Amino acid sequence: MKISGARAVIQSLINEKVDVVFGYPGGANMPIYDALYDYQDKIRHILVRHEQGAVHAAEGYARVSGKVGVCLATSGPGATNLVTGIADAMMDSVPLVCITGQVATSLIGTDAFQETDVIGITTPITKWNYQITSASEIPDVFVKAFYVSKTGRPGPVVIDIAKNAQFEEIDFYYPENFSLEKYKNVNKFTKEEINKAAEIINQSEKPLIIAGHGVIISGGQNELEKLAKKASLPTAVTLHGLSILPVDHSLYVGMVGMHGDYSVNKLTNESDLIIAIGMRFDDRVTSALSKYAPEAKIIHIDIDEAEIGKNLKPTVSLTGDARSILVELIPLIKENNHKEWFAEFERLKKVEEDVQKKREKKFKDKITADKVFKILSEKTQGKAIIVADVGQNQMFAAKYYKYKIFNSFITSGGLGTMGYALPASIGVKVAIPDSLVIASCGDGGFQMTIQELGTIMQEKLPIKILIFNNSYLGMVRQWQDLFFNKRYSSTYLKNPDFLKIAEGYGIKSKRVSELSQLNMSLDEFLESKDSFLLEVVIEKEHNVFPMIPVGAGVDEVMLE
Amino acid sequence: MIKTVQYNIVCENKPGVLHRVTNILLKRKINIETLTAFPIDNRAISTINFTSNIDEKKIENIAKQIKKIIEVIEVSFVVIN
Repeated sequence: MKISGARAVIQSLINEKVDVVFGYPGGANMPIYDALYDYQDKIRHILVRHEQGAVHAAEGYARVSGKVGVCLATSGPGATNLVTGIADAMMDSVPLVCITGQVATSLIGTDAFQETDVIGITTPITKWNYQITSASEIPDVFVKAFYVSKTGRPGPVVIDIAKNAQFEEIDFYYPENFSLEKYKNVNKFTKEEINKAAEIINQSEKPLIIAGHGVIISGGQNELEKLAKKASLPTAVTLHGLSILPVDHSLYVGMVGMHGDYSVNKLTNESDLIIAIGMRFDDRVTSALSKYAPEAKIIHIDIDEAEIGKNLKPTVSLTGDARSILVELIPLIKENNHKEWFAEFERLKKVEEDVQKKREKKFKDKITADKVFKILSEKTQGKAIIVADVGQNQMFAAKYYKYKIFNSFITSGGLGTMGYALPASIGVKVAIPDSLVIASCGDGGFQMTIQELGTIMQEKLPIKILIFNNSYLGMVRQWQDLFFNKRYSSTYLKNPDFLKIAEGYGIKSKRVSELSQLNMSLDEFLESKDSFLLEVVIEKEHNVFPMIPVGAGVDEVMLE
Repeated sequence: MIKTVQYNIVCENKPGVLHRVTNILLKRKINIETLTAFPIDNRAISTINFTSNIDEKKIENIAKQIKKIIEVIEVSFVVIN
């Protein structure tokens, strides 16, 4: 039986077990939307308010479901509105299939209405992209797109479908067991490399694991814990590695990087071995590379060969899936004890805590974001999923919420996309509806995708929205404070009445500006069965510390 | 130290592969000095060869980045001088 290309698209999605699509209709994808109308029982379509919302929602969905996130946009502006989210997914290794409508093949290249070169625009920010101009291409392209997006190091794929291909009819047949020679063996590590890595670990006196997003993607958290336990290895995480281990785990020492823990940053440069697992030594992690871990041998484990040696030359590299590598490594690791080395972390942790206490005294009558996350941690027992936006609020969320469950911190790390949290939280809530999902935003980032309140309203998603309002673009203001002589150029925000905005969308809301009211307000926020927007008016000039200034080494981390 | 490097790519003969290769170079502000591309193997496969002047620290990584392109089958490089 022949079916239209548009139906073939939907049928392909069903074959890929897609049950949620985030999207926005327009001229060039209308046949697909028309076909979708007949499949509402199989595919839930979530109508966003802007295509950027669709792609971030798809990212949030993918990050917590382990499935490929799917979004659907029309040609021209619909497609270009996806660009930020596609770039975000590329940086953060998020598997997405983004489907864009395109003008009819006969019009391509004529500067037709809503025509844009989507393939040209998205080439540098996708793992793969393809323009379909004939319906017969649909099954083969879709099976390849899903395979590519989720295999090896995950990433976004764009499929651009000309309108005529959506109308044409084909005999539908979906390929089975598709694979590419390229990805047949992602585990390229050798037995010799494993042996060498084990030998170095067994000899190390001051080892430090830095676990990143790759451990979460590979599902290697249990193996990571086994390795760390067996050899008594202090385990730190990157921003995307947060929540691999619960923060109260005896082997967990904290987060690395620009706003990471004081102890971890300081001791990176005393360590004699960095075991980097599923992370890429990005500049926010290493700061000045020339001053990074001068005493340490480096074991670098990553699935992406191009990450090995890109920033830092490893002593031994193991290319492959993090979990598979850890499985091979663990039997060769000798039991060990690094008590004194752990004590160093404890000692420096105390140093940071003492300075932190002094700072708390200075702000003792004020609401600050760290206080909010500390109280939230207690009230939720660290079991919420925090979807953090970008900036100061993000670093406070990373540092002060006590993550107890696996993969419960979702944020835009690589691209640092303000406006990520609200739409991403939609995808997270749709994927795991029984979890407590908190979108945590600054007043700046929230207004970048504020329109997605409409999606939350329409889909009746009980997402908790936290806005930290300091009437500033806080992180930029902090840099102006520290490095630009307090010249607050264009960082003051005159904000709207967020409660009235929430009211307009039928979302319950509250504002809290007095510390004495904070506890009660957070109770109300958490107890609400519906979505709830809590605006927390925080101290205007409160900075995030520790901080490593740009150009400094990780051990030059500032405590205040 | 800047070196002149010749990269030899074997890839599927499909639209957009050269675009992906040049994107990798453009992102790093690398100019192409010479370039040839032609189909082999009954036109299913293509070879792309180019030379560029590149910081020696980046030579190997660029080969690895090119290898990540889905349609690319093999990449090799020769440092000419």
